[in-house]
Amino acid sequence: MASRLPILNHVRTLREQNGSMTQSELGDAVGVTRQTVAAIEQRRYSPSLETSFRIARVFGVGLEKVFSWDDNYIG
Amino acid sequence: MPFQEKSAWIMLLALLLSGIPYISNIVTLSHGAQLPPPNIQQLVYYTIILILIAVIGHIIITAFSAKDANAKLDERERRIFDRAGKLAGYVFGFGSVGSLIFYLFFADGNLLFYGVLGSLIIGQLVEYITKIYFYRWNIL
Repeated sequence: MASRLPILNHVRTLREQNGSMTQSELGDAVGVTRQTVAAIEQRRYSPSLETSFRIARVFGVGLEKVFSWDDNYIG
Repeated sequence: MPFQEKSAWIMLLALLLSGIPYISNIVTLSHGAQLPPPNIQQLVYYTIILILIAVIGHIIITAFSAKDANAKLDERERRIFDRAGKLAGYVFGFGSVGSLIFYLFFADGNLLFYGVLGSLIIGQLVEYITKIYFYRWNIL
């Protein structure tokens, strides 16, 4: 089993760029737990499309600015 | 640690602390391969132990994180619960059917009772361990 999922994300960078938003704050804003935000950042969980859009809306960017496919992924 | 993971640890502990003494009691009362008949008093006694540990444990973790205790499961947690529940269902199902097949050949009601009860206990253990595993280590 691959140790990471094939979808790259910039959630952590975007959090830091948005006034050092915490994982808990982002989780509350999109309706998931802090642990789920951590799992997304570590590429251990791929969020649903709805949650992905919610995350992008929190940061005021498009979905492709938050998530992208890892072309080097071997799975 | 998420509230639901703490809850799974407590239930795992409760099941081990009540299940292991119960099973060792049955083994002690057995004569070779001859199992003792199910004793309702013993079963109620160990069930009360299980409930007490579970209730006290949950009161303690809720006292430390009341907000998390009242929160609904999020999408990742629902997936973890679904997978753990499915696996536990398989274990219980196979164990119960296996016990029924044994009964067809050996007509031993005690074995049937303990087979189904054991499947339930192992199924629950698998559910809690699977939850903990997915919460801590696995990718979903």
